[in-house]
Amino acid sequence: MWDRMTQNVSVDDDTARDLLEEMLRIDIFEEETKERFGEGEIPGFVHLSGGHEGSHVGMGAAMRDDDWLAVGGARLIGQYIAKGVPLPEIMAELYGRVGGSNKGHGGQMHVSDVDRKLYGHAATIGSGQNPAVGLGLAEEMKGTDNVVVTTIGDGGTSRGSFHTALVFAAYWDLPVVFIIENNEWAISTPAESLSPDHLSDYGIPHNMPTESIDGSDVEKVYHTVSEAIERARDGEGPTVIENRVVRLVPHFEGDKETYRDEEAYERAREEKDPIENYRERLLENGVITEDELDDMVANIEAEVEEAIEFARESPEPEPEAAYDHVYKLPLYGQGDGQ
Amino acid sequence: MTREITYVQAIAEAIDEELERDEEVILFGEDVEEFGGNFGETEGLYEKHGRNRVRNTPLSEIGIAGMALGAAVGGIRPVAELQFADFAATAGDEIFNQIPKQPYVSGGQIEAPLTIFAPSGAGIGAGAQHSQSVHSWLGNVPGWVVVTATTPYDAKGLFKSAIRDDNPVFFLPHKMLSETKGEVPEEEYTLPLGEAAVEEEGEDVTVVATQLMFHRAKEAAAEVDADVEIVNPRTFAPLDTETIAESVRKTGRLVVVDETVERYGTQGHIANEIVENDFFSLDAPPKTIGVKDIPIPLSPPLEQEALPSADRIADGIESLF
Ligand SMILES: Cc1ncc(C[n+]2csc(CCOP(=O)(O)OP(=O)(O)O)c2C)c(N)n1
Ligand SMILES: [Mg+2]
Repeated sequence: MWDRMTQNVSVDDDTARDLLEEMLRIDIFEEETKERFGEGEIPGFVHLSGGHEGSHVGMGAAMRDDDWLAVGGARLIGQYIAKGVPLPEIMAELYGRVGGSNKGHGGQMHVSDVDRKLYGHAATIGSGQNPAVGLGLAEEMKGTDNVVVTTIGDGGTSRGSFHTALVFAAYWDLPVVFIIENNEWAISTPAESLSPDHLSDYGIPHNMPTESIDGSDVEKVYHTVSEAIERARDGEGPTVIENRVVRLVPHFEGDKETYRDEEAYERAREEKDPIENYRERLLENGVITEDELDDMVANIEAEVEEAIEFARESPEPEPEAAYDHVYKLPLYGQGDGQ
Repeated sequence: MTREITYVQAIAEAIDEELERDEEVILFGEDVEEFGGNFGETEGLYEKHGRNRVRNTPLSEIGIAGMALGAAVGGIRPVAELQFADFAATAGDEIFNQIPKQPYVSGGQIEAPLTIFAPSGAGIGAGAQHSQSVHSWLGNVPGWVVVTATTPYDAKGLFKSAIRDDNPVFFLPHKMLSETKGEVPEEEYTLPLGEAAVEEEGEDVTVVATQLMFHRAKEAAAEVDADVEIVNPRTFAPLDTETIAESVRKTGRLVVVDETVERYGTQGHIANEIVENDFFSLDAPPKTIGVKDIPIPLSPPLEQEALPSADRIADGIESLF
C-alpha cells in the first residue's frame, strides 16, 4: 500500500482552500452531469475530467482574468469551470438550451465565453494550438501583456498542427504556454508507446523551457504554470509543460475501458486522485477542518443543483435559431446600392 | 478619374490602402516581405509598412490559417496569404472545420474578421496541385464568404471589402489574370460583397462566369449568333441568386461556366437554383460547363483540354437554340 506522506502546503490558507473548493466544484458538477446524462437529459457525448482536476484548477488559478484559455484534449468541463464560466451557463449548454453559454449551438465540446477569454475547443483534437498562437499574436500587436494558455492531451501531440504551433510561437517568441495533459491514454492508445521520455521534450528543439511535472498536484501545477506565464508576460516567449495525470474516468460515458489493467487503475485511484490527496493534505496541515469541508461540499451541491434547475428550465432553442450566427449580415457593402 | 493598372497591382493597392487605413489590419504569409509574393501581389508592402504589419511566416498553411483565426478572434484583422489556392487542403482542418464553424458553434460570441487570399486557377502549366479552382470546396462549407476577382477593378474593390467584412472571407484571384490591365479609379472605392454584377447586357441567353472564364465567355459571346448577357457572381457564398434569376427571367436561357470541376461543381448548384425556383422562365435546359472530371495535367494541350475553352462555351451557348 502506498503511504500518503504529509506534504507541506506551499500557498497561503485562503488560496489552498480556494484550490480545493474549485476541484470539488468540478467533481460535484461532473458527478451530477454523469447522472443527468445517464437519465437521458443531456444529448451528445460527455467526457469527464476525473483525475485532471489538479491540472485544471492549478492552471486556472495561475491565470489572470485577461489571459486567454484555448482548451484541448477531451477533459473539458473542468477547464471551463476553472476559467470561471458560471455553472448554470455550462450546464444549460450541455443540455443544448438557449440559456447555455453558446445558446445550444456548441454543446459539451464547444463551450466558449469570449468575455471571460475562454476561446473554446477545436473538437478536432490538436487544432486549437495554432489559433492560440494567433491569440498571442493579437495580444502582442495590441501591446498588452496578456498571455495565452492552451491545453492538449497526450494523444493530440501526435498531430502535425501541434508541432506547427510550436514552430510559429517560437518564431516570434509569442506569449503562449502549451500545457500537455498526459493522462496516459488517448481513448485506448497508451501514451507510453510514444517515443519521447516526456512529451514536453517536444519543446526542446525550439529552445523553449520545458517542464514535466506531477499534474495531479494542484500546487505544483499552480507554481509551474505561474512561472511560465510570468516568463511569457515578460516577453520571454513560450513554454511547454507536461502535466502527468491519470484518467480516473472512462474516455467518455459509455466507454467500457476493456483495454485497462484493473490493478494499475486501482493503484492510480489510490495514489493520484488530486482531490483526495489535497483534501488529506489540507486536513493534515490544519488548513481546513472536517466541518468546514462539509460546509464547502454542501454549498457546492447547492450551486450545482441551481445549475441543473437553470438548465432544465431554460427553453429549447426555436428551430429557426439554427440559421443564426452563420454569417454576420449584411456583408460589407451589401445592399448599399453600389 | 481612372488609370490603367494590372490585376496584381490592384491587389497590392487594396492591401496597402487597408493597412494604411486601419492599424488593426496585418498581412502575413509565406514570402510576402521583400520577395513580394509569387505573382508580385504583395510587392512594396513590407518596405512601406514594416515587419510588424507585414510578416513572413514559416512554411505551414496550418500555421497561417490557424494563426489567422486566433488573431482575428483576439481583435485584429489578419489578411493571410496561401501561395496557391490548392493549399486550402494542406490546412484542411483550419479551412473546413475551424474557421467557418467556430463563430457558429460559439453562438455568435466569436467573431473572425479575417481574410485568406490565394491565387487560384489553371493555365500556367503549374500541374495538378497548383492549378485548382477551389470555390466549390469552400462554397460547400457554410460560414465562409467566398469571393472571386475578374478584373483589376473587381480585384481592388472586392478585396478591400473582404478585409473590412466581419466574416471570414476567402478571396480568390486568378493567377492567369495577374498581368491583365484594366481601368481602376484613382479615388478610393469598394465593391459590395454578396452581390453579382451584370457585366454585359443581352436579351437571348444568360452566361454566368467569373475570373478567367468571364474573359473566355466574352470571346464566346462575340463568336455566337446570339445576344449574350454575362453575369459575374463575384461572391459565390452566400450567392446572389436573385440577380442571376432576374437575368434568366429576361433571357429564358442559362449557361453556367466555371473553372471548378464539373462533378459536384458550382455550375450544378447555380443551375439547380434556377431549375427549382424559376423553371418556367426557362426556354431550354440549362447548360453547365466546367473543368473535366480529371486532375489538371501539366502539358499545355492537356491542360487546355481540361479547361473550358471559348469554343466549348460558344458550343454550349448554341446548343440552347
Ligand atoms: C483530429 C481528431 N482525431 C480523433 C478524434 C477522436 N478523439 C476524440 S478524443 C480522442 C483521444 C484524445 O486523447 P488525448 O489527446 O490524450 O486527450 P484525452 O482524451 O486523454 O483527454 C480521440 C481519438 C478527434 N476528436 N479529433
Ligand atoms: Mg490522453
